[in-house]
Amino acid sequence: MFSLKKTILFLEWTSILGLLVCGLWVFLKLPMETSQGFPQKIMYLHVPSVITTYLAFFVVFVYSIAYLWKRELMFDQMAKASAEVGLVFCALVLVTGAIWGRPTWGTYWVWDARLTTTLLLFLIFMGYFLLRMSVNDRDKEARLAAVLGIIGFLDIPIIHKSVEWWRTLHQPSTLFKTDSGEAKPSMPPELLYPLLASILIMLAFYLYLLLMRFEAEKRQDELNQLLAETQD
Amino acid sequence: MKTRTKFVIGGAVIIAVITALSIQSLQEMTVFFYTPQEVLASPNEFENKTIRIGALVQKSSVEWDAQAIKLSFNITEDGKKFIPVIYAGVKPDLFREGQGVVVEGKMQGQHFEARQLLVKHSEEYSVETEHQKTKEEYYKSIQTN
Repeated sequence: MFSLKKTILFLEWTSILGLLVCGLWVFLKLPMETSQGFPQKIMYLHVPSVITTYLAFFVVFVYSIAYLWKRELMFDQMAKASAEVGLVFCALVLVTGAIWGRPTWGTYWVWDARLTTTLLLFLIFMGYFLLRMSVNDRDKEARLAAVLGIIGFLDIPIIHKSVEWWRTLHQPSTLFKTDSGEAKPSMPPELLYPLLASILIMLAFYLYLLLMRFEAEKRQDELNQLLAETQD
Repeated sequence: MKTRTKFVIGGAVIIAVITALSIQSLQEMTVFFYTPQEVLASPNEFENKTIRIGALVQKSSVEWDAQAIKLSFNITEDGKKFIPVIYAGVKPDLFREGQGVVVEGKMQGQHFEARQLLVKHSEEYSVETEHQKTKEEYYKSIQTN
């Protein structure tokens, strides 16, 4: 009933329509934020990309552990697919952040703890793919990548907490703000609900890309296997 | 104990140590800005050194000289102790009284000469409920300026 093909098709249309609706909602319906005005709208791309990056590399973390434990090639294919999508979203975070920073902070980039650790995450996973490319043995590639994937993920809690641990130009979290243990995002509902919707849609889009890449990786490995067999 | 278990434990220890060390060194490195109080407490330490100071723009301290392109204002944390800042440049869009700013430059005697002026906006977002600025009004407002 729930074939992978149908799931992918469903996610594809959900993300296409969802992203379109969110975009129109943000630009046509949303009131202007009091102090920032128009530039605040990039939040609806920046924040969902952040959450997606967090999730994507968490998936890398989980499947890397699973691979080291069970040595199933499928787990490595999943980790690789998620790392690839995560890297794209991480780049999106850095770019949208820079675009947002210019009109609000007055600069595209500063070397504060939040921005530096985010760039570090991007570089770690660039290295992750360089590592994969440099190893010829498929099992060895998976093993080494799993180790780096696990270590690389550890940067994410640091990124998330950087604005609380250190003095940064980047403001603390709005979405995960708590007041005496209770979640209290410091945002009015008319700005918050579209943000939550954008996050959900972005996650659907991530899932779509993940499954597509996973399928492709699986086939690539099958193909390589076949080629190796015919050459023998 | 199996060799593999030893490797796992050894690896975990190494990772833990590396993480602890890097967090500690980051802690020292990541003083992105000082506070006015820290700078005022030891002026000799900061004299003639390029530093960043982060604080709030003091109420009714902003003076803008359009002819000389000179912006001067006081930065403070508590509203009592403050450092006068001179910045030879234009006001950033979000610059206003009571706003968080980070200035980069040097202490010159009693005042701070800023080379760069950054706005540190808060994590609070709000919408004007009385007369919600629509997109059209916003565009109008930038056209008339």
